[in-house]
Amino acid sequence: MNPFTYARATDAQAAINGVAANPRAKFLGGGTNLVDLMKMGVEQPAQLVDINRLPLTRVEELPNNGGVRIGALVRNSDLAENDLIKSRYPLLSEALLSGASPQLRNLATTGGNLLQRTRCYYFYDPAFPMCNKRAPGSGCGALEGYNRIHAILGQSEQCIATHPSDMCVALAALEAVVRVQGPQGERTIAFEDFHRLPGDTPNVETSLQPNELIMAVDLPPLRFAQRSHYLKVRDRASYAFALVSVAAALEMDGGTIKTARLALGGVAHKPWRARKAEQALAGKSPNEQSFRAAAETELANAKGYKYNAFKIELARRAIIQALSTVAKMA
Amino acid sequence: MSAALAAPPPQIGQSLTRVEGPAKVKGQALYAAEFRPDRMAYGALIQSPIAHGRLTSLDLAAAKAAPGVIDILTRENASRFPSYPSDVTKPGSPAENRVPLQDDELFWVGQHLGVIIAESLDQLQQALSLVRVSCAPNEPVLRMDLPAAQQSATKPEKWVGQEKLQVSLGDVAGALASVPPERKLEVTYRTPIENHNPIEPYCTMAEWLARDRLVIHEATRGIKQLQKIVAHAFQLPPQSVDIVSPYVGGAFGSKGFQWSHTLLTAAAARLVRRPVRLTFMRTQMFDSAGQRAETEQKFTIAAEKNGKLIALRHATTTHCSPVADYSEPCGNMSRMLYACPNIEVSHELVRLNLTTPCPMRAPGEAPGVFALECALDEMAHQLKIDPVRFRLTNYAERDDFEKKPWSSKRLRECYTQGAEKFGWAKRNPQPGSVSAPNGCRIGSGMATAVYPAKRQPAAAHAILSADGQLIVQSATHSLGTGTYTTMSQLAANALGLPLENVRFELGDSRFPDAPVNGGSWLTVSVGSAVLNACEALKEKVTELTGNWPNDFTSLREVLARNGQKQIEADGKSEPDREAREKFSFQSFGALFVEVEVDSLGQVRVTRATGVYDVGRILNPRLARSQVCGAVIFGIGMALMEATVPDPKTGRIVNANLAEYHLPTQADIPQFDIHFLDQPDPHMPVNGARGIGEIGIVGTPAAVANAVFHATGKRVRELPITPDKLI
Repeated sequence: MNPFTYARATDAQAAINGVAANPRAKFLGGGTNLVDLMKMGVEQPAQLVDINRLPLTRVEELPNNGGVRIGALVRNSDLAENDLIKSRYPLLSEALLSGASPQLRNLATTGGNLLQRTRCYYFYDPAFPMCNKRAPGSGCGALEGYNRIHAILGQSEQCIATHPSDMCVALAALEAVVRVQGPQGERTIAFEDFHRLPGDTPNVETSLQPNELIMAVDLPPLRFAQRSHYLKVRDRASYAFALVSVAAALEMDGGTIKTARLALGGVAHKPWRARKAEQALAGKSPNEQSFRAAAETELANAKGYKYNAFKIELARRAIIQALSTVAKMA
Repeated sequence: MSAALAAPPPQIGQSLTRVEGPAKVKGQALYAAEFRPDRMAYGALIQSPIAHGRLTSLDLAAAKAAPGVIDILTRENASRFPSYPSDVTKPGSPAENRVPLQDDELFWVGQHLGVIIAESLDQLQQALSLVRVSCAPNEPVLRMDLPAAQQSATKPEKWVGQEKLQVSLGDVAGALASVPPERKLEVTYRTPIENHNPIEPYCTMAEWLARDRLVIHEATRGIKQLQKIVAHAFQLPPQSVDIVSPYVGGAFGSKGFQWSHTLLTAAAARLVRRPVRLTFMRTQMFDSAGQRAETEQKFTIAAEKNGKLIALRHATTTHCSPVADYSEPCGNMSRMLYACPNIEVSHELVRLNLTTPCPMRAPGEAPGVFALECALDEMAHQLKIDPVRFRLTNYAERDDFEKKPWSSKRLRECYTQGAEKFGWAKRNPQPGSVSAPNGCRIGSGMATAVYPAKRQPAAAHAILSADGQLIVQSATHSLGTGTYTTMSQLAANALGLPLENVRFELGDSRFPDAPVNGGSWLTVSVGSAVLNACEALKEKVTELTGNWPNDFTSLREVLARNGQKQIEADGKSEPDREAREKFSFQSFGALFVEVEVDSLGQVRVTRATGVYDVGRILNPRLARSQVCGAVIFGIGMALMEATVPDPKTGRIVNANLAEYHLPTQADIPQFDIHFLDQPDPHMPVNGARGIGEIGIVGTPAAVANAVFHATGKRVRELPITPDKLI
């Protein structure tokens, strides 16, 4: 761990200015990931700007449209138990409660959850010399290393890491919108555009600028959000990252699927919105055959490595099972 | 004074709560890392970044210049340690054979190269990041199946100088030739490297009171052994070194033996002339002081038409580091658990550039009985015989390896009671035949549990004050399993005192000798010494007062006349040589588990019924807790635990508790644990036998067998994670 200075911000603009003034400054929210990475020497900020006192802790209805705005500092445990979320977006609550441990959820923030960094072993331990994400140009240690937890979709030869969040998989399916504020004012980022695929720059993980602060996450209204399910496959019953996870929601029109929402976790560098599967499901009967076909379509280009090839079959089964569960809902 | 005796003495077999519980809850129970003398400095290990090669330079300039750094101990400024005492490095001994800072040779990632000493922990961490280690690397040997590993293979004769590792009874090859393929089974089981991971990491706090006087607070289960090792390293008489360890936060096989951090911390303290505390980071729990070795176990068994075993061959390959000689003794239970006229057990040891293995709970038995009990299940399935019936068919009425009768054995009752309590009779033997309403496949499996009932020499000292307060001391340890309580209970019961009158003291090398905590022998070994000390005390008091008092008025008067404040007595105990020569001492049990397996390959153990023949139960509450904990340990081994070295560099990739998976509360089944509670007539402490490790043994096999029953899929490589079932 390196020496750093600490400042507590009293308002958002001051926090943003503070971080903008120092290229090695970072915002500090719950700290559940950042402080961990600082201990490992992966993150080495010169200054931490603590935003925990900012008034970003509310979950409120958006006027007119039935959507909900989640303040960036709403803790994961509060969000999971929030009545608006539980009644309108149970998928999000389910995803949150499947993640981490109660202690971590009590501290982890909504904004911070979006910025979680990968659990790739070769990224997390700087003693491994190769990691294009941590040290651009150094290579990828996972490619020929122990890659059991790594990506099968959207990866590049530069990086096969996965995004570890559960919450973000639900947000991808719910088409959330991220509201950010920077020195030039506010802007919104569609959730699908927020996280990036690794390409040749796996060190650039989001479309957030270094001096921009996440202020809130908006959930647009979704009529069929109750008809949803978050399925997480893991190595133990609790406190384990997803090998594969699926966020699924179905809008039915009589006996056929009108709209499907599907996102996958544990398979890619970002929460993976399964657009191809969604398209394949539209207009189909909700049965195992159509679910299987949708899964096959989505995974047609999936690529496994020495230790993670099982994820392709696991993802296929998880998609079918999650959709089957949703289809059975009244 | 009769008020002191108002409460009745505790009974043997009474469920007492832990006497040290309140102190632990209030934070008054001090662990090694909580002792903080004045001027104490902090130490951290400098470690090898590579698995094989030579250290070419340690650039310490930046680290030395960092704020708060007091000094750095390396080979350049440290005195040479003499070799470890020969009795801890005899062939087959656990842990490292090489003292630290010998030369520039590097044998594994994490090997200790020095100690930075700083004023505070944060300064220490910063300084550590500034050390530059340069090496000349060689190709590391990281897999047992590599030719370079095979070239290093040896066939060790004995485990820890005791148990024979190469055994042949009858004619296995001949017997196998006589049996058709449908009654033979030839399979290979594998278990990965596993790490102990007690919640309290290793910690040493070393303080030199004078040039020839050293006190070490250590998280250890081997006080007396460590005293000898440290005294030898610094060329001091043993009594010049005190080892203090009143509470240990779990060990599971770690925290014994000779590991370099203790010596390095003491050397660092001498270098800076200040007390130094060195605590492992969690990552160091994976690379610095022991782990369970990887095993590959080739199993061949054959049975006659009537289901009787006719041949059993158990060939183990396991690894150790280049600086050690310890092998995981997987085949020892295969020598005698079942009646079989032709048995071959062999062990092969290869050297890898990985950290040094050592015992981990039920060393040998845990992975070895996994293989044995899975093989039995496979054979039973192949022969279409019920697994319990198959075991009863091959019941060993005596120990055919030792050629002795059992001291006592009630395994048959364990099978029958366990089967009844579990509802085994209702089981459809067809794999994959039962589904739960949630779509999961349900399976049940069972396995035999077995663990040696060992004893070691031990001693205790008892001090009775005139008002009936008793202190009993022994240099034993409290790993969190109930030593304080059980020893207090035994002493209070023996002398008819209320529990409140008794204080048991441990964790100090100045107390009378006690063995390393291990082998599930603490209660019987130390308990026997405690009982003997109490008996000696009783005799002394009776001599003085004419009888053992039912109040202490007469004792007080006699002592006052003699000008004494208290009466003291010593007790010793040794294994009963005659009984040990005559009988084979083993504990037994039968574990039945039910699992649910979903279509995604996720296994959850839903219930576990165990019946154990472990002699008389002294304290059912603590005994049950021990066995439940051990079964959970076995579930971790079955379903999730694996330490993974990077295939190229040998660096552990999952050296943390987020990615090295242990069972969480949500992974724990409903328990139904029973003890036959029948005394072993040849064991000293009310016929009790040790219970520490037997709960682990058999659990991984019972789970794997249940997974087979649920799915029809036989997973022979632990842990059974989703990828192996889809």
